Amino acid sequence: MTEPDPPVRLHVGDAVVARVAAHRARLVPGVVALRPDLAQALIGIAGTVLGQDRSRPPVQGVSASVHGRSAEVSITIVTRLGHNCRDLAVAVQREVAAEVSAYTGLDVVVRVTVAEVLLD
Amino acid sequence: MAMNAGSPAEGPDGPAPRLACGRDAALVWDRAAAGTPPDAHERDCPHCNAAFADARGLDAVVHRMASQDLEPPPSMMDRVMAAVRTELRPHDLLTLSSPHGPVRLSRPAAAAVLRHVVDRMDGLRARSCRIEQPTGADGRAPHAADVAITVTARFGVDLASVTARVRQMVIAAGEQALGVPVRRVDIDVVDLFGEGTT
Repeated sequence: MTEPDPPVRLHVGDAVVARVAAHRARLVPGVVALRPDLAQALIGIAGTVLGQDRSRPPVQGVSASVHGRSAEVSITIVTRLGHNCRDLAVAVQREVAAEVSAYTGLDVVVRVTVAEVLLD
Repeated sequence: MAMNAGSPAEGPDGPAPRLACGRDAALVWDRAAAGTPPDAHERDCPHCNAAFADARGLDAVVHRMASQDLEPPPSMMDRVMAAVRTELRPHDLLTLSSPHGPVRLSRPAAAAVLRHVVDRMDGLRARSCRIEQPTGADGRAPHAADVAITVTARFGVDLASVTARVRQMVIAAGEQALGVPVRRVDIDVVDLFGEGTT
């Protein structure tokens, strides 16, 4: 007689998805940096002035939200002339979606915005 | 990608403009990009030479920069101001085609790239560059862009060749550097420079 398995609910938080996505996106050749949005940049400044809140350092350049079994990730990247912006963005979408999906089991949609192309 | 803008007779705005010597700029460009050595005419013709130099120049810029390893300056103020600008103009984005979901490209960044490559062409300076991406009838952006660029030319440079060369450069850079097919190029030569020095 075996006990029924106790039910387990695993919920993966937004920050987990964002951090995995940011880590993977930075590894894609051609991604020079991730660009924080306004809120993240201001939080970053507040952190340097007021002292960093070590418990929740923001994930710069990535926002993520988890809804049930699916996640939405928005990544803003900076690249450099010489990398085709479209091909780079598609590569980031592919790599990040695969990594986040493998790590969390969620279905992932990745939006990519190329905010800047460095010229020199 | 469906990209036939580089082929000779069927450019985005009909037949490709000719170089001053009568040759098709797109054909000369294609041969230069493929590494074909210039033929007897092209060796002696300044217009074909310029077109060859354009093609090789783009190639050199694109590949040299791709192989460099450098970091952006970690200046907080720059990052914040860039974020502010991005935030204030959230719709100033071009749409790129992707099978995996939404991809956007900053319009000012795209314009800066096109200005940069035209600026590097011999005898030319880019002034302004405007990129429009008209929305299709069904509300979806068709991804092909219309580019309007203003340039100044060195005194004595042949204007017909300038038109052909800039058009070719913008189409090639749009596809190779940005991933944005260019449907139409409007070139406005607004001034000359270098009078009397050449």
